[in-house]
Amino acid sequence: MANKQTVKILKEPALQSSSLVVGWSEDAGKLGGEVIGYLKRKLGAEEFAEIELECFFPLGGVGVEDDVAQYPESKFYCCSDKNLVLLGSTPPRFDWYQFLTSVLDVAQNLCHVKEVYTIGGMISPGAHTTPRLIMPIVSSKEMKMSLNEFGVNVDMDYETPPGQRPTLSSYLLWAAKGRGIPGASLWVPVPFYLVSSEDPRAWKRVIEFLDNRLGLGIDYGDLNNEIAEQNKKIAQLTGQVPELGSYIQKLETNLALSSEEGEKLAKEVEDFLKKRE
Amino acid sequence: MGIKLFKEPKLENPVMIAGWPGIGNIGLVAVDHLRTMVSAEEFGEIEPWEFFYPRKVFIRNGELLGLEFPINKFYFKQTGNRDLIFFIGEEQPAEGGSAYAEGAKAYRMANMVLDVATQFGCRRVYTSGAAVAPIHHTMKSRVWAVPNSEDLVSEVRSYQNTVLMSDIEGRGGQGHITGLNGLLLGVAKRRGLEAVCVMGEIPVYLHGFPFVYPKASKSVLEVLCSVLGLEPELQSIDEFAQQQEREIENLYQKLPEEIKGQLEKLKHVTYTRQAEPGIITEEDKKKILEDIDKMFKKQPPKEG
Repeated sequence: MANKQTVKILKEPALQSSSLVVGWSEDAGKLGGEVIGYLKRKLGAEEFAEIELECFFPLGGVGVEDDVAQYPESKFYCCSDKNLVLLGSTPPRFDWYQFLTSVLDVAQNLCHVKEVYTIGGMISPGAHTTPRLIMPIVSSKEMKMSLNEFGVNVDMDYETPPGQRPTLSSYLLWAAKGRGIPGASLWVPVPFYLVSSEDPRAWKRVIEFLDNRLGLGIDYGDLNNEIAEQNKKIAQLTGQVPELGSYIQKLETNLALSSEEGEKLAKEVEDFLKKRE
Repeated sequence: MGIKLFKEPKLENPVMIAGWPGIGNIGLVAVDHLRTMVSAEEFGEIEPWEFFYPRKVFIRNGELLGLEFPINKFYFKQTGNRDLIFFIGEEQPAEGGSAYAEGAKAYRMANMVLDVATQFGCRRVYTSGAAVAPIHHTMKSRVWAVPNSEDLVSEVRSYQNTVLMSDIEGRGGQGHITGLNGLLLGVAKRRGLEAVCVMGEIPVYLHGFPFVYPKASKSVLEVLCSVLGLEPELQSIDEFAQQQEREIENLYQKLPEEIKGQLEKLKHVTYTRQAEPGIITEEDKKKILEDIDKMFKKQPPKEG
């Protein structure tokens, strides 16, 4: 059990054999943070615990993003009627193992979690108009078989390249496996030019999957409006700068962009979407 | 969580030699070479996850098979006289983005290393690292040695090709050893253990590059072998050092003539106290070192 002071418990939830879904706030296309936020709102999930920030974050000031001061957050929410636990968190800056130990202590001892899902966006060279796939990584053969039934292919081969480090999601999956809790990381490709903005199409794909898998019964039709709105904005931009439209068309036909083209597309889209938000 | 020992060998009056990565990987290469040279056997490890972020994930066919962490292992060698314990770490437990050990985790790891040392009756520890010095890469690296007790000063002074901090001009016997090499000395002192840090010299203009500098490791190895009464096997480290020197020389030849001209002067700089005057004046020397400092815009030389 982690040091008690690493977690503040507000309320003991009444859960048995629950599922934990974890989303990190710093994620491509704001995927993890938005999915957790969406589920929280739609299901009326209630906050019940919080990881103590001073244990895992250097609290020597605040960062500013898009003109707004940011502050780390690491909160658990529960939805008892769905047997669901949500963790929305800023990735810790140090003592990662202790952080994950604290998360799993809450999951196991307080929520009797039977499985863990993490959400993560991965940078993709594709266009924003292409359908999003879920590319899961699982921690057990049983989980793999069970996910196959939900129409996702579990077949990725990967080894961390030199100079890079594994993701926190993989680390969590590994730590959970060590406690006998199976899990899956749900990776969704996010077009490279939406990585710093938002990717509602990716949000929808993950929510659709979780809804099916966990029987949440969510009406997520409103996400179609967000997708349409974003498509409209990008269409406006390509109308103003036809060159960008030709880049996107190339991506839609599986043609690669040069690095200059890619950089220009990413910068222009990011600037345009920020301006319009 | 903590120390995991696979076996408990019976050791006679063992000495511990510890190495971590650092500038030029000088200490790590020296200690690992010595470990290989005596065919030391692995007998334990410090479980890494409390200290380190994993460095590799293995996924096959969608399934996470495992994570790879930096290893921190103990090895032993029974010599029949003064047995040896090695501790080799692949990373220093750092906090706040530093490459060198500091903070509570580093202190905890230093204590864990010494827990194993004392468990097997060890009373003497050697750590090894780098000393950034105003030398030229064609020169033989000397070894700076720092003991953790005054009682060891005269012994350390007798080591071959070794200087103490007080031998280095302008230091007045002062200095700072960064990371676990230094911390272990302090923690050993606190726990009543003798410890000496031996640091091979690396040229000031190379220490910022991601080079391994085996020439300095060889000097450290020679000192350790001499102290431990071992016959050094130097062929492979010699070959490694020659190969690295060729690469450094290739880069060196590509430097602008002005810079090379300044660095060439380091061949004639003596920065330790000497009986005979050098071939350049004190004024020249001061100017050369100032120019080189400016050229590389580095902080003052450090050890670690």
